[in-house]
Amino acid sequence: MQYFKKSAYLFLLPTIIGLLLFRLIPVIFAFFTSFTDWDIYSPPVWIGLENYTRIFQSGEFWQILRNTLLFTAIYTVGVCIIGLFFAMLLNQRLKGIKFFRSLFFLPVITSIVAVGIIWNWILSPQNGILNILLDKIFNLQEPISWLGDPDYALIALALVYIWKSVGYQMLIFLAGLQNIPTELQEAAQMDGANKWKVFTKVTLPLLTPTIFFVLVITIIESFHTFGITHSMTQGGPYNATNTLSYFIYQNAFVHFNMGYASSLSFVLFILILVITWINFLYRKKWVNY
Amino acid sequence: MKKWIGMTVLFVFVIGFLAACGNNSDEGRADSAANAGSKDDKEASASEAINLTYFSWDPSMEETNSALIEKFEEAHPGVTIELQSYEPTDYWPKVSAMAASGNAPDVLDMSSGYVDEWASKDLLLNLQEYIDADLNEADYFTDVFNAVRYPDKENGDMYAFPYAWVSTVLFYNKDMFDEAGLEYPTNEWTWDEFLNASQELTIDTNDDGNTDQYGFWFYGRYAQIEPWIYQNNGDILNEDKTEFVVDANGKEALKFLTDLTTEHKVSPRPKDVEGTNQQDLFPTGKVAMWVDGSWNIANNRDIIGDAFDWDIATVPRGNNWSEDVTYGWPDNIAISKTTKHADMAWEFVKFMTGEERSVEEFAGGKVPIYKATAESEAWLENDQKPANKSIILEQGELIGRNSYTPGWSEWRGYGAAEGSGMNGEIDQVLDGVKTFDEALESLTPYANDVLERAN
Amino acid sequence: MKTRRSTKIIIYLFLLLYSITTLFPFLWMVAASFKTSGAIFEIPPKLIPDLLFKEGMWSNYIEVLTEHNFLKYLGNSLFISTVASLGQLLTCSLAAFAFARMEFKGKNIIFAVLIAMMMIPVEVTIIPEFLMFSSINWLNTYLPLIVPSLLVGSFGTFMLREFYQSIPSSLVDAAIMDGAKPFQIYRRIFLPLSKAPLATLFIIAFMNNWNDILRPVLYINSPEKRTVTLGLTEFQSLYSTDWNLLLTASVIAIIPMIIIFIVAQKYIIEGMVNSGIKG
Repeated sequence: MQYFKKSAYLFLLPTIIGLLLFRLIPVIFAFFTSFTDWDIYSPPVWIGLENYTRIFQSGEFWQILRNTLLFTAIYTVGVCIIGLFFAMLLNQRLKGIKFFRSLFFLPVITSIVAVGIIWNWILSPQNGILNILLDKIFNLQEPISWLGDPDYALIALALVYIWKSVGYQMLIFLAGLQNIPTELQEAAQMDGANKWKVFTKVTLPLLTPTIFFVLVITIIESFHTFGITHSMTQGGPYNATNTLSYFIYQNAFVHFNMGYASSLSFVLFILILVITWINFLYRKKWVNY
Repeated sequence: MKKWIGMTVLFVFVIGFLAACGNNSDEGRADSAANAGSKDDKEASASEAINLTYFSWDPSMEETNSALIEKFEEAHPGVTIELQSYEPTDYWPKVSAMAASGNAPDVLDMSSGYVDEWASKDLLLNLQEYIDADLNEADYFTDVFNAVRYPDKENGDMYAFPYAWVSTVLFYNKDMFDEAGLEYPTNEWTWDEFLNASQELTIDTNDDGNTDQYGFWFYGRYAQIEPWIYQNNGDILNEDKTEFVVDANGKEALKFLTDLTTEHKVSPRPKDVEGTNQQDLFPTGKVAMWVDGSWNIANNRDIIGDAFDWDIATVPRGNNWSEDVTYGWPDNIAISKTTKHADMAWEFVKFMTGEERSVEEFAGGKVPIYKATAESEAWLENDQKPANKSIILEQGELIGRNSYTPGWSEWRGYGAAEGSGMNGEIDQVLDGVKTFDEALESLTPYANDVLERAN
Repeated sequence: MKTRRSTKIIIYLFLLLYSITTLFPFLWMVAASFKTSGAIFEIPPKLIPDLLFKEGMWSNYIEVLTEHNFLKYLGNSLFISTVASLGQLLTCSLAAFAFARMEFKGKNIIFAVLIAMMMIPVEVTIIPEFLMFSSINWLNTYLPLIVPSLLVGSFGTFMLREFYQSIPSSLVDAAIMDGAKPFQIYRRIFLPLSKAPLATLFIIAFMNNWNDILRPVLYINSPEKRTVTLGLTEFQSLYSTDWNLLLTASVIAIIPMIIIFIVAQKYIIEGMVNSGIKG
């Protein structure tokens, strides 16, 4: 049941002020600059649709778009499934579970510089712990350069991203699980349902709003990743790990092609918008309120 | 409903208060500046109070810069210099945004790679008249001045003034040479001698089929490629640097280099050493030789310590060598066109680049532009490695070429975009993803597209 | 619900295994703060630092805290992040309540715009934003760092909306029968029931504000107004990085986040105990 009330606008007052003044104005400005040649330090020069035609004509863009979509798929699936799995584990009433919760959250706060150094070592072709382990088990012919070989680099990088940020998703799932009244689950178990049934018939349906939220947010976030790419591969080897968000950063603040970066951003925007819109369209099919 | 009105009022109040804070602090600053001014007026002659902002890209030099500034302020009563330091990845967005909002700092550190672009947008003050009037050119390493001339690199006016310069050198591990019974590299070394040594120094120490010590290390990085091209009398750009064309000598040098990895296997492929800082391979004793910027002397000293003996030489001469050409560039200070105190800003730049700047600020291989400081015993550091440090000074007379153009970071592939452009293409050849010809074929139109847009 | 012993052991084993991967980089970072710069890149990485229990063990910390004004930066960041995040809890929960439980004109459009704002990379809106704040003289103040983040939070609003939608209508209906006004429903029913998501949001909002680097770089000029993230850049320079000092400062920089995580976690648990919602 919902309520028809004028006072809704009062509830929304800060948000609307903030949206209009601090979010929309810069976005509209950025939209205009996407039709210009702009190096930031001198005034923009109008060039019409040139930036957009350049995007679709450049082979570089299509390679980066392919990387981006592959990254998003790996990252979103990985983070959502692992995050939910961890949240379920950490939702158990076991001794010391609070301690483990903090441990699982650690990667989120560990400095990106340290993460870069350590994972570079783990994945390194020489003396890397991962290769040493794989060699012991499978007897590798030649060491695998996880971040240096274009066939593996994007996947390896996506795994580091998942490791680093899954704590967030875990936390949100955990909050969602905590909000599910335990009476419901207990009642189902009293009725003779086994654990798996309780999970699929009671817990999961009640968690769908949280899952929906995490899915939408994670997809959006996956298109904006930056930090670990910057500290580990810088888009290399030869653009194999370059994604749209990193490409936008390169154009904005390495090459100072702000106009081109803006046009790329709006192409990215349309892409995310369509995916998110589809998400909302299909929400009714599986989300329980 | 009352509560709502209360909430709204509270909210408006909070915003208003915050806004007022912003204004107050501005006024506050203005007030204190005015006070300071009037005090100065009373105390220090008739000179008016001048405030200059100086943006530096080297946070590690904040202390020494502040000390210099203090000295300058003492010598010029009524002048205050506000120093702000940012590391390079933050520095450029910050100064660019400041310039866009019309608040460019009066004095700012300026990279040789950006002088043309900033000068062409009318953001930098032409310093030529000041330089002609005030300075004795014999006091400075004038051969590097070309890098800051605009629009013409030979005869244009100077739009920034260097405070230091760097060059590229060949680093070599003396212990490894001794062990292999080889003569040390000379400054007249040829490619054949270099290749021969590299092969001798590439060793599989434990006979497991994997190379444990490489003779050399390089990848597509600008400071590791261009020096070889210039030492073969070649180039990768046309005369006025508007077009990317690798001439025959340039191609020969590139082919010689990439063959080192793909044919002779005396240098590791980039993917073999992924995850290690590229500048740490030489100092950690993984490779016997390495070509890069002279500033790496500091990092080498840090990491090597007393682990092995090492030294430097000039980059080997190619088959078509006719004279020594060093790849190098100056780091500079520029003045904003919008400054209200151009004369005082010039005094400051002159001070920051002259004899007052002490030698301690030029750690390792950075060379002071002021000759007397550079040629002092203190800079040569005879008690430290490398023993041949003085060859860098000789290079100061030779610095002739660099590949900087507008759009350089994009077509060259530099820094946070190292995977793209020329750097990325060369790495693909080294990793065996592309052949040499394929790489050159895809690079040329890409680079020219960038150059066309940037010019 | 009872958990079987064998399942328990498997769960513990798994928890332990994964904890090693999360703990190792963290411990290494802490260990690095007790190392000399040359020892940082040792392969394989060592957890026992070379300065441990030796003279100069605390030298990195002393240098970071005295030569660099890190205590001041911590205070500044703490102020900015706390104000912005608390503000966001208030504004986001208000907006989320309206979106979840009220019917009004333009609801879908406003919500769509709010979500859409998350989709545009900050790299391209930051310079326009800078020019805007520059024109109203907000440069070198904390206002650009606090006010926008305090007023509008797309993420937080969206998250709380999802939680509010799952609160049973029967609770709300009963309150309306008793004559409760919308604000009272928000305050007496929704706020207390959403402790867990609010605590989660606080952690996330705090971390986002705390880790912001682009805005402090652009907006802050005075050294005494620097934030922690700006302070971290002091160890990088044109041709080199002081890795040991940078990692030491990173350790100092995350202490407040650890405290906040531990405190907020208590509320996430409490949320469970108190929410006696009947379906």
